[in-house]
Amino acid sequence: MNLTSLFNDLLGFWSEWLRPSAGLPTVLWSLLLAAAAASGHLVQRYLGLPKVVGYSMVGAVFGLAGFEGAIWPLRGISLFLLELGAAVVLFEAGGRLPLRWFRHNPMVLVQSLLEATLTYFGVFWMLQLLGLPDPVANPIALMAIVASPAVLSRVIMDTRASGPVTERAMTLATLNTFYALALGYAQAGLIERAPQTLLQKLYPVAVVLGLSFVVGGILALALRTALRFMSPTSENTSILLLALIAAASALTAHVGGSAPLAALIGGVLLKTLNPKPWAWQRQLGTAASLLTMLMFVLVSIVAAQADWTLPVASVVLAVIGIRLFAKIAGVAIANPGSGASWNQAFWVGCAMSPLSSIALLIASNFTTASPLLGTMITQVALPSILLMEVMGAVLATVAIHAVGESSVPWTPQAFSTTEDTQR
Amino acid sequence: MTAAMAFPDSDDFRSAALPADPASRVVKLEPFNRSEALSLGVELELQLVNTHDYDLAPYAEDMLRLMAQTPLPGSVVPEMTSSMIEISTDICHSAQDVITQLSPIREALIRNADKLNIAVVGGGTHAFQQWHERRIYDKPRFRELSELYGYLSKQFTIFGQHVHIGCPDADSALLMLHRMSRYIPHFIALSASSPFVQGQDTQFDSARLNSVFAFPLSGRAPFTLSWKEFEAYFERMTRTGVVRSMKDFYWDIRPKPEFGTIEIRVFDTPLTVERAAALAGYVQSLAAWFLQEQPFEPTEDDYLVYTYNRFQACRFGLDAVYVDPASGQHMPLRDHILMTMTQLEWHSEALNATQALGELRTSVEANRNDARWLREKQGKERLLAEVVRQAALRFRGGA
Repeated sequence: MNLTSLFNDLLGFWSEWLRPSAGLPTVLWSLLLAAAAASGHLVQRYLGLPKVVGYSMVGAVFGLAGFEGAIWPLRGISLFLLELGAAVVLFEAGGRLPLRWFRHNPMVLVQSLLEATLTYFGVFWMLQLLGLPDPVANPIALMAIVASPAVLSRVIMDTRASGPVTERAMTLATLNTFYALALGYAQAGLIERAPQTLLQKLYPVAVVLGLSFVVGGILALALRTALRFMSPTSENTSILLLALIAAASALTAHVGGSAPLAALIGGVLLKTLNPKPWAWQRQLGTAASLLTMLMFVLVSIVAAQADWTLPVASVVLAVIGIRLFAKIAGVAIANPGSGASWNQAFWVGCAMSPLSSIALLIASNFTTASPLLGTMITQVALPSILLMEVMGAVLATVAIHAVGESSVPWTPQAFSTTEDTQR
Repeated sequence: MTAAMAFPDSDDFRSAALPADPASRVVKLEPFNRSEALSLGVELELQLVNTHDYDLAPYAEDMLRLMAQTPLPGSVVPEMTSSMIEISTDICHSAQDVITQLSPIREALIRNADKLNIAVVGGGTHAFQQWHERRIYDKPRFRELSELYGYLSKQFTIFGQHVHIGCPDADSALLMLHRMSRYIPHFIALSASSPFVQGQDTQFDSARLNSVFAFPLSGRAPFTLSWKEFEAYFERMTRTGVVRSMKDFYWDIRPKPEFGTIEIRVFDTPLTVERAAALAGYVQSLAAWFLQEQPFEPTEDDYLVYTYNRFQACRFGLDAVYVDPASGQHMPLRDHILMTMTQLEWHSEALNATQALGELRTSVEANRNDARWLREKQGKERLLAEVVRQAALRFRGGA
């Protein structure tokens, strides 16, 4: 009896005697989240690793066991939850995207463009070399551009990090997410079409960007209006924010834009309209944490459904290796004149290794657009995402500690000798 | 005259490392070097904050690296925690000189801060930073001090202005020091810019000085007007093993023999370099008055009201009550400040500090200092992060 059939037997047994008001899936999801929360805590306390590693591990175990709460390719409520989680993270990341920094230090923008370009072409070239056709290599290369702001922000929170490497990695991760979302969502629509001219390829990008911009603009204006009479420190402002992002996500997906992209643009526009520091993160607190935890669990459940074979593993490792190299090289080549040291440039590249929900959403779009090619894309994309959600989080933690930007020592809390008063 | 650290520059404080024989611990005080009378030097400790939530940000190393690429007067050095830097002028001769040197330093700071996506802010405290989140700047001396002082070293994330004033000789320096002590409340009230600590309004205009009190050997210098006696006092202190150099004293004013100056250390860092220069002009005008008119003789009894006056100025700023040490008369500190400014008019004119004193006088007449500015912003915005953002704009001349 394999793990999946055992799991199905257990589910069958439970459904016979357990008939709660909200149904068995609700109980399962609640228990899954409880297990993820406990696992995240234990992983941090006893191994000194970021909590996201614990969430992913629980999700992966459930996914490998055949949990049917999230089926690939994503659709319906699970797709919406994933988009909403990503949108909340990207709205916040958009608000942190310092546009005036690029005016004063254009080399940061050059670093971003270079690392994204090198990553795309590096991964594309590697996949071609390994014999994958262009329509498969292209989506995977686009997906590889993304450095997950969601994972990075959780690692920053866990390590209580701040400093030049932390800020730059977060900025570059937000920028490459922007590129990948605009290109990924647009090209998904072209996957089964005949070869296109450059103009024909750019048109859908403009449509995705335009639609996302309109929704993001409406979101920013609505929040700007609310902030005229609501306090930024009020809990109600946080709830209003969350509700409006949810509405914008559903609307964008419906009209054919990208929900996470609209939220990112909304964040950027709101910060431009209202340059005051944001204060609602603390109020969002547990609600946002639950949403992002759900997102990590969902990603790993789905990603764990991939078929793991030796050839696939080799391709995945090659993609991960070349992606890491390209990101470090891109940041380092454009480093002179950017105000950072070589050491910092290296660790910024490393801190950008996580892959997670955004990559999964891009892969999901391609798979929905072309189930046939989607299978081949999925084979490489899902294991890469699962591996880099965990390994990327660990590598980002190593980077933050290596440059001394963490406010907590990297000794697991359980074994820490220094007294850390509870806050 | 260059930058002096706010922290003692001692090799080792721990008594375990001291020689067992008290006699062999004795350190002779270095001779008081010559300096031009009334020459000036200004040091400013500044905050580095991020531009997202405007909390302190550990960018000192990056800032120092970028600042080293620009030829500037004075110097830029690290401070105890990694979100602080200290800038200082070379030897200046007037408040005008001070602003001429501080302006290009400020421009370079702003340019490099923009490049790093951070902001530079004045003020005696950061309004809402949490001391336990601070990181000690990676330098053996700071690590050593951190071990000795524990959490006090992180709580010392406060920002002051130090003004050095050149004295003709050692005895004159001590005379100047004790005369200047009568004006400590004036300096505190004029520079006060630290009403908020750890996210709370302390109801003090200058809460920064309360953090200095926690350190041993803070407060006032011993009363002696003879350098010989001061040398003997210093040697007695070194014999105890508590003191190894002048920098171990955290006095409000202390002699600086290697520079030939006295160093006044009670100022909060103002929100603008213009106000810092004006305060230096005020100190210089007072010193000129002392040297040229010998207006009064300081006595030990001056210190009977010293701590009370100091507290009043910290707590109430320009609204404080000032007790005249000589007459015992109580009067509003604001009135006493205006009175001294009138007394100093002639000297400030000779020192090209008329404009500097004029600006200070206008603010005193309007009952305004930087602490009041910060409180007004908080009253309007109800968000300390926004107050810090606006203070950062003010430092760069935009608010």
